[in-house]
Amino acid sequence: MNIVVCVKQVPDTSDPDTEVHIDGTGRGVDQSKFSFVINDADNYAVEEAILLKEKHGGEVTVVNIGPEAANQVIRMALAKGGDAAIRLDDEKFAFSDVLATARLLQSAVKDGGFDLIMAGCLASDDGYGAVGVTLAQLLGLPHAAMVKTVEVIDDKKLKVGRELEGGLLEMNEIEMPCVLTIQTGGNEPRYASFKGIREASKKEIKVMDLGATGLAEDQVGEAGSCAIMAQYSVPEVGELAEILEGDPGTTSARLAEILKEKGLV
Amino acid sequence: MGDILVLAEHRQGELREVTLELLTLAGQLGGNVVALLLGSGVDDFAGKIAGYADKVLVVDDPMFANFNGMAYQAALAEIIKSEKPGLVLIGNTGQGMDVIGALAVELGLPFTTDAVAVKMEGDKPEVTRQYYGGKIDGTIDFKDADTYIVGMREAAIPAGEGGKSGEVAKIDNPVTSEITARKFLEYVEAAIGDVDITQSTLLVSVGRGIREDKNMPMMEELAGLMGADISGSRAVVDAGWLPTDRQVGISGKTVKPKLYLALGISGAFQHVTGMKGSDLVVAINKDPDAPIFQYADYGIVDDLLKVVPALIDKLKEMKG
Amino acid sequence: MSNIEHNAFVQKYDLLGCIQCGRCTGGCPVTVRTPLNVRRFVYDTVDDDRLEELSEKPDIWDCTTCNTCAIRCPKGLEPFEVLLGLRAMRAEEGNIEPTARDALESMFNNGNPWGKPAAKRTDWMEGIEGVEKVRILEPGEKADVLIHTCCTACYDPRIIPLAKNLVRVLEAAGVDYGFMGTEEKHCGSEARRLGEEGLFEYFDEENTELLGSFEVNRLVTLSPHCFNSFKNEYTSLDLPVQHYTQLVAELIEDKKLELKNEIGSSVVFHDPCYLGKKNLVFDEPRYILGQIPGVEIAEFFRNKERSLCCEGGGGKMWVESESKEQRLAETRIADAEALGAKIVAVACPFCLLTLEDALKVRGLEEEMRVADILELLGEAL
Repeated sequence: MNIVVCVKQVPDTSDPDTEVHIDGTGRGVDQSKFSFVINDADNYAVEEAILLKEKHGGEVTVVNIGPEAANQVIRMALAKGGDAAIRLDDEKFAFSDVLATARLLQSAVKDGGFDLIMAGCLASDDGYGAVGVTLAQLLGLPHAAMVKTVEVIDDKKLKVGRELEGGLLEMNEIEMPCVLTIQTGGNEPRYASFKGIREASKKEIKVMDLGATGLAEDQVGEAGSCAIMAQYSVPEVGELAEILEGDPGTTSARLAEILKEKGLV
Repeated sequence: MGDILVLAEHRQGELREVTLELLTLAGQLGGNVVALLLGSGVDDFAGKIAGYADKVLVVDDPMFANFNGMAYQAALAEIIKSEKPGLVLIGNTGQGMDVIGALAVELGLPFTTDAVAVKMEGDKPEVTRQYYGGKIDGTIDFKDADTYIVGMREAAIPAGEGGKSGEVAKIDNPVTSEITARKFLEYVEAAIGDVDITQSTLLVSVGRGIREDKNMPMMEELAGLMGADISGSRAVVDAGWLPTDRQVGISGKTVKPKLYLALGISGAFQHVTGMKGSDLVVAINKDPDAPIFQYADYGIVDDLLKVVPALIDKLKEMKG
Repeated sequence: MSNIEHNAFVQKYDLLGCIQCGRCTGGCPVTVRTPLNVRRFVYDTVDDDRLEELSEKPDIWDCTTCNTCAIRCPKGLEPFEVLLGLRAMRAEEGNIEPTARDALESMFNNGNPWGKPAAKRTDWMEGIEGVEKVRILEPGEKADVLIHTCCTACYDPRIIPLAKNLVRVLEAAGVDYGFMGTEEKHCGSEARRLGEEGLFEYFDEENTELLGSFEVNRLVTLSPHCFNSFKNEYTSLDLPVQHYTQLVAELIEDKKLELKNEIGSSVVFHDPCYLGKKNLVFDEPRYILGQIPGVEIAEFFRNKERSLCCEGGGGKMWVESESKEQRLAETRIADAEALGAKIVAVACPFCLLTLEDALKVRGLEEEMRVADILELLGEAL
């Protein structure tokens, strides 16, 4: 079974102390104080791909869109058991939306004869959660999103469990080749040892620029996008906790209201 | 402006609240609200939806007895082609996220997902989304088109009271051949009793501030009312009030619930590291200087043994 | 049968030197709460064929690397190193606890185990009482003392005051000091203890190069764990290394540091394993405490070489034992309570965190406090 796994390098902004500052253009953020990691859901996709390879054989190809610094996450995936890697890198790819991003990935995987293409279900930086499903349609392949469990039925079919709200699993049978977007929590991503990463840095990472993708300039980046992020702004809510004042009757009533407004109770 | 087509969402015989949220939003945006209900034996839902829509299109077919993203995509594609709405609203949910990108590519329409606010600027939607875990907002600029597809975040806006009484129109299933590449098999409920707090949507998390083991039942009652799981700090686990697998923190579990309700947790760095990815943090602690308030969205500075019973009463009232 | 003398662990850890006397396990503090039997591991790892199986035993993660077994070994072996060797096998396979994995990944990505951006490593330097600007050295710059802050003191709000007080002490004593700024990295100590030898070697290389780029006379660390790694484990670092207690004792002796304010309290000093048992620094912390006006020093029965480990080292900040027995830190606090001590003084960030937690678990926040010597110095200045 030959598998593609798409990985994105993202700033680790989950930490409340990590501030995100909009840059002068209004369309980017100051990245100088970020630390960069593999996108969480992609990490689970890598693990799922390697578990499938260990059980059923085949090869795992890691695909990334990013600058040279993204080699770090690629090498971690290779150290864990990935066999080959492709990195799409061209300044013309900047500002690509979901559609243009999916097109780039399509160009990298379309001729590979892969049985299964996996990506994390959601990126923690822009949070669209749509690239995998978009890619499937571009490739003309069946898809299933938010997949938490993958089981091989035979060499043509998989049984996958899609995780819905409240943890409910929706079990589906899907024909290969297909595209799955992988949810977090379905496995336990292994550790890539430092030695392993050093070893993996000997493996070649194939770099594709615009020319290598075979795409036209107006199919990528801003020109190739259908819905671009035009302007960042600072949300109105303050950074500090809003302290609810009053006696326990008042504060608890206000809290209950807030929980209801946010659809949490 | 053109019609707004809203995809109704249901699961296991229940209409999901997001449907009414989207219909409410569509009503606020102006224009004709058309709801699309794909299902099998769903007259009840159609009736309820009619209260929020100017028209309800119902495709009643066994193909839609359960959700299949690819079947939904096929039906939506045909209906969008024939109805030509100006805007399509779909919940950015486990179902919606399985459809939107592929549907938009199939139709060649501009789309975006996980919107938290939508306005109309003439015929074009102006969408606000969150980036970097909600730390900043961004607005979306669409390429010009006759129809736009927007995936809307669940619970981003509250469902209103409705007040419409739309006509319910049954239409033929536009999907004429069975979807074979993907088949729905069954639903599997999350295992009960075997709680994995890393997967919990709602967590009531307790610290030493609950003071005594005998206060645990009160916390459990609150969690039960909210449908939340219970987690705790290392101190509470050390005290033996909670099992080890409920420990949040650097040497315990990393959790990312939609709500983390911290009760009597001071918020040591090692604890916070394990819960910093939570969407909404609410802290109740009697110490106004407790570090947990730096990570909380809402805080109550008070004795939790007074606030929690009051909160339990309020939640019971709300549930009727 | 393979030639025993050529077996991997036999050579690396001198296993044939072991006479199986059992002093290691007999003195091992965690045996009261976990099944760990280090003597048994030393015996079993002679057999290469069993290494894989032994590396999968959860007990190998119970060791806090407190050095008691090494201190007690009549043959001069370091039995706990065998456990680190087994951990290394697990780490190389990538098969380790997720909490340890996250810490190690952060060390590699950010240069600290806490998942914090390297660029924010010096944020703690803002707002230090009486200090306008903390001096950060550029490569090639001269100073007497180069400081290594310790990742925990850079990022953990509970430990940051230690770093701030260290700066105040340096300023007050007129020390010619400098920090490394955001270039400073994890010392590698906890990487090695979590079994990541490759990553430790990386830090050894990187830090040796960085430390060598300054024109300084000595390196002073805030944490005993960094102290130990730089002093004993770095392969080619050519710089004298001190723990801050050694520098401060020197400053007081030379009358460069004046401690004015009284701390009228009974203080008991808890010897950090990596300062005491591992590096035999016992006197300086006690000397400093004795110079703080009003301090009455009490001693634990188990002190100095026999000091009880707090269980914060050896990677244990990230890997919990399954044991439900009382933590050693709690035992330590109970001992201090019995002594009637008002302050448990430490000289290590991990000891401070674990003992303070234990104090809270025992509900003694009103009666007693845990403080690093740096905090007491800050109060006495």
